[in-house]
Amino acid sequence: MRVMSAKKLNKTLIFIVLIALLGLAWWAYQTLQQRPESVDEAALSAGEQLAAKGREGVLGCQTCHGAKGEGNFAAGFPRLAGLNRDYILKQLQDFARDPLQTRAHIEPIARDYERTPAIYEDLTVYSAGTRTDAIMNGIAKVLTIEEMQQLGLYYSLLPFTATPVAADVQTLERGAELALRGKPEYKMPRCTACHGPKGAGFGAHFPPLAGQPPAYLIKQINLWQSGARDNDHLSLMKNISNLLTDADKANVAAYFANLSYQVNEE
Amino acid sequence: MLKPILMLALMWGIMPSFAADSAEVRPDLVKPRASLPIQLIKVPAPNPGEYFIPPYVADIPEDKYGAVVEWGRKIFTDTQTYGKRFVGNGLNCSSCHLSEGREPFSGPIWAAYPSYPDYRTKTRNVVTYEERVQDCFKYSLDGIAPTIDAPEMEALVAYSHWLSTGAPTNTHLPGRGFGSVKKPQEAQAERGKDTYMSHCSQCHGTDGLGKKHPDGRYMFPPLWGKDSFNRAAGMTKAKTMAQFIRANMPLGAPFSLSEQEAWDIAMYIWIQDRPYDPRKSLFVNMFIPVTPGQH
Repeated sequence: MRVMSAKKLNKTLIFIVLIALLGLAWWAYQTLQQRPESVDEAALSAGEQLAAKGREGVLGCQTCHGAKGEGNFAAGFPRLAGLNRDYILKQLQDFARDPLQTRAHIEPIARDYERTPAIYEDLTVYSAGTRTDAIMNGIAKVLTIEEMQQLGLYYSLLPFTATPVAADVQTLERGAELALRGKPEYKMPRCTACHGPKGAGFGAHFPPLAGQPPAYLIKQINLWQSGARDNDHLSLMKNISNLLTDADKANVAAYFANLSYQVNEE
Repeated sequence: MLKPILMLALMWGIMPSFAADSAEVRPDLVKPRASLPIQLIKVPAPNPGEYFIPPYVADIPEDKYGAVVEWGRKIFTDTQTYGKRFVGNGLNCSSCHLSEGREPFSGPIWAAYPSYPDYRTKTRNVVTYEERVQDCFKYSLDGIAPTIDAPEMEALVAYSHWLSTGAPTNTHLPGRGFGSVKKPQEAQAERGKDTYMSHCSQCHGTDGLGKKHPDGRYMFPPLWGKDSFNRAAGMTKAKTMAQFIRANMPLGAPFSLSEQEAWDIAMYIWIQDRPYDPRKSLFVNMFIPVTPGQH
C-alpha cells in the first residue's frame, strides 16, 4: 500500500477542510435565505387600526371591504385579504396620483388595422399610472406612504377562502376557453398566462382573479376600455380589455367566481 | 497556500448572484421615448377571419381517439409533468407555441402538421412530422428524442392531427411560423439590453432566468441559463427570436415593438449563456465561436 508523505497529506487535509467550510457556508446561506421574513408587528397593528377605524379624513377600509377584507360580492367592492402587499401599495399610490400630473398617453397602435395600416412607430409616450374612482381617490390622497405600506402588510396576511358561485355549463365553458386559451385568432393571450394558473395571482404585478367579485372584475375591464384606469405595464391590460366583448367579460368573470380558492390558511 | 484561496475566489465568481429584482418603478419611465414621428411602419396585425381556427377543446370527441388527443394536449401544455422523461430543461411545448399551439405567428400546430413531410434546411433532408417533433425535444427542450412509436409521441401527433381538423394539406397557411422580420442595418445587444429591461424584465426577470412558482414550476419561462433551450434550438438563431418577439411579445401587445427593437433584444438574448449544442463535442462548444445565424 502506498503511504502519503506527511506534506502531501497536510495539503490534502487543508483542501478537504476548505471544501467542507465552503459547503457549510453555502448551506448556512441557503438556510438563512429560506427563513420566513419577520413581520413588523408595530406596522401590522397600525395597519389593523387604520383598516378598522380609519382616522381623520380617512374612512375605515372595513366599511366597504368587509370586516376581514373579504370584499362585498353584492356591491362589487373588491376583496383585499391575501393580496400582494406591493400590489396594494401600488394601487393606493395610483389612486392618489392626480391624472393631470401625469404625461400624455398616446395609443401607439391604431385599433382598426385594415383602414390605418401605417402607424407612427416612435410616438410612444408612457404615463405614470392613474386609477379613477369616486371613493378611493379622495381617501388615497390623504394617506401617507407609511400608512399605505401598513395597510398593504395588514391585508396581505389576512386569510381568505372563496365561496364558489354556481353558473350554467355553457357560461363556464366559454369562460374557461377565454381564461385558459384566450382568443388566439385576435392574438389575445389567456388570463392564466399572467394571473397564474387557476387565477391565483402572481407577484406584485399580477393580482388574483379568483375570489374577486365578478362585478368588480367586469367594472375594471370597463374602466380600462374607457381609459379611467390606466396603471398597467406597457398598456398590456388595456390592449387586452379592448379585445373583450360584454359577453366575454360576463363569461370569464363567472368562470373565475366559480373556482375554489384559498390564501393564508387559518 | 495561495492555491486554495485562488480556488475560493474562482468558486465565488461562478456562484449565481442573488440580487433581487428592482422594486416597483414603471420601468418604461427609465427611458421615456418622445420623439418626432419619422418612421412609418406597416403593422402586419392579425386580421380575424384570415387565419385558420382549430376546433374547440370542449369538442374533443369522447372516444378512444379523443382520450389520446386529450392526453396529447396535456403533454403539450404541461410537458414538465406528462413528458418529463424526455425533457432536460424547464420549458413546455406551449412556452413557444402559445395558446396551446393555436395562435397564428407563434408556430401554430394547425399550420405545421399538414405541411409535413417537408424539406428541412437544418438537416438538409426531407423529414416527417414525427422527426420534426423529435428535434423539438432534442434542442428546444434540451432533452432526448422520444422514439416515433413512443406513446407520448403518438399522443402529440394525435393532438396535432386533431388541431388540424379541416386544414388543407401541403399548403403554406397564413400565420404559419413566426412571421417575417427584416434585418435592420445593425442590431446591438447593448441597446437591446435597455429595451429588455423596460419591456421584458418584469416577467422574465432582470436576470432572464424566468420566474418560478413556489412549487418550482416556471410561471414565466427562462430565456437563457440552464433551464432554457440549448444552442442548437431554432430560437437561438437571432432571426427566429426576433420574429417571435415581434409577433408575440410582450403578451397582449403583439407587433408593438419595432423591427429594430425586436432584433436588438434578440441579439441581447443571443449573447447569453445557455446549454451546449448536443450535436457538437464539449471542446467545440466551449472554444469554437458561432454566429447569430447558426443554429
